[in-house]
Amino acid sequence: MKEVAMSQNYRGPAILVIDDEERIRTGCQKVLRQEGFEVETADSGEAGLKMIEEKSYDIILLDLMMPSLSGFDVLSRVKALHPDSVIIVISGYATVEYSIEAMKKGAFDFIPKPFMPDQLRVLVTKAIEYTRALKDIANEKSRMRVLIDHLSDGVLAVDAQKSVVLANPAFLKMSGFSGEDAVGRGLEELSAGSVVDALVDSALAMPEDQFEESSEEFVRGGEEGVPQSYLSASCVPFRDRAGRNVGAITVLHDITARKKMEQIKSDFVSMVSHEVRSPLNSVLAQLHVITDGLAGEVTPKQMEILGRASEKIKSLLSLSTELLDLARIESGLMSVEKERVNPVEILEDLAAFHEPAAREKSIGLELAPLPELPSLVVNRRNLEEVLSNLIVNAIKYTPEGGRVVVSASLEDKFLKFEVGDTGIGISPEDQERVFAPFYRIKNEKTRYIIGTGLGLAIVKSIVEAHGGFVRLQSLPDQGSTFSLHFPLPES
Amino acid sequence: MSDKPLILVVDDDPDLVESVAMKLESHDYRVAKAYDGIEAWDKIRAEKPRLVLLDVMMPRKDGYELCREIKEDPASKDIVVVLLTAVAENVKTSKYTHQDGKSTPADDYIAKPIDLDKLMQIVRDNLD
Repeated sequence: MKEVAMSQNYRGPAILVIDDEERIRTGCQKVLRQEGFEVETADSGEAGLKMIEEKSYDIILLDLMMPSLSGFDVLSRVKALHPDSVIIVISGYATVEYSIEAMKKGAFDFIPKPFMPDQLRVLVTKAIEYTRALKDIANEKSRMRVLIDHLSDGVLAVDAQKSVVLANPAFLKMSGFSGEDAVGRGLEELSAGSVVDALVDSALAMPEDQFEESSEEFVRGGEEGVPQSYLSASCVPFRDRAGRNVGAITVLHDITARKKMEQIKSDFVSMVSHEVRSPLNSVLAQLHVITDGLAGEVTPKQMEILGRASEKIKSLLSLSTELLDLARIESGLMSVEKERVNPVEILEDLAAFHEPAAREKSIGLELAPLPELPSLVVNRRNLEEVLSNLIVNAIKYTPEGGRVVVSASLEDKFLKFEVGDTGIGISPEDQERVFAPFYRIKNEKTRYIIGTGLGLAIVKSIVEAHGGFVRLQSLPDQGSTFSLHFPLPES
Repeated sequence: MSDKPLILVVDDDPDLVESVAMKLESHDYRVAKAYDGIEAWDKIRAEKPRLVLLDVMMPRKDGYELCREIKEDPASKDIVVVLLTAVAENVKTSKYTHQDGKSTPADDYIAKPIDLDKLMQIVRDNLD
């Protein structure tokens, strides 16, 4: 395949004229050489065949009626030897039957004797365009084939009846197919799994006005010595010119390594967090015992130092809590017991809960008038946590005398919570990064604000784990508005 | 011998046990100490404490399991059990539900890091 695709040196088209009439041979040669073609001639079917056996020509001009070996015989031999050669029949009789007969046997076109040089030029030019298109298609097909066969991702194409049109080696390996040729078989014979099957079904059923890639992760193997692997499958329909689904393409990507890394990371974080938390908890209790005077009298200066030490330890503890939360969310271990919750109730509770902290900073914390809102099916603790996080942030990053407004509304198929503030705002370049773990904006305005840089990463992970998304609008020195979009439950 | 109630403090970290014990003793409670669930169970039967401060995550036998055993045994079911829980463990305070879904009938809980003054309040409230 490679040589076809890669090493074909381009040369001008080679033409062979086979005719027993010398006048025709020289005439054709003259006309076509003027066009810059390489032209050779043969005066009989036998001589022509000999040349064809030694070399392939792009175009053969072939007289049908010759003594001894007829044009029809030459035609079938050429088709056998060089199926890509284009044959134009020269017919002295110019009868329709002969010409049709020749075209049935694979001739490209015919030209009746006598013909004008222009007629010949037009016909040969047309034939050359045709051969070029054929070659381009063949090259393109071959290039695509090599490309797809060498992808490390599995690629599967099925038609509308779910028969396999194409399945590259990576796909067959991932799906565990060990049979001979997969093409033409039903999808179920490939045992690609119910996930792939369902994705293909939904892609094939996708309405014309919609084009979406659906994807899902799943596990394969894990039994009888087959190593377990994690795969992600994504599937899209492909359509004809009229927009009808005529098949579906599925791509399988092996994500085993990533999943294993995530698990290791999550185990590591849990272990470290726990091992770190226990001694910190003890140290805090020990400091408390000392500052209580239970271990002897403490001077005011010592008291002050121990107080600061306690604060440091508390912030380390909250960092480890957040790390642990993030690791759990990322590994999908977070408890996702969902229940029906009333968003209005939660917002009212939260606004009341955070009001004293806001008042302490002379910030007005307001709950905007809420429209009629349906209930959500979410993890209540998670929802409270993400909203609290945004409210606490808004209070933290808003100077005294500012305002924080909490609101909720319906948007598309989502319930949108918004927390807006009149705070220091976030520059456009930081807006993309604030949701990344450990990212904290460091400038003169935030220097004295304590935080771990994990809060928004946790918010984003939780919202996304609920099938929602997070948005941020902000202008430096004017304020920020974070919005959380939770999908509405299907009624 | 003081007639102040006996409190058993159970945690696998001896430093935490010591600090809590010092605080309790400063309020004239008597204190017994244990460092894992099995040792705690032995002390409960031998010394009959009025109240147990019980860590949740411990080697050999965890706090949830021990709490259930205390409450299921008629000889110990009247002992007040206060769980010491790490916030991250997400213990629902009202039900003390363990991950396996079985409820743990503890009387009260305090989240780590423990505020010793709050702990004293909880102890007092539960012994009255």
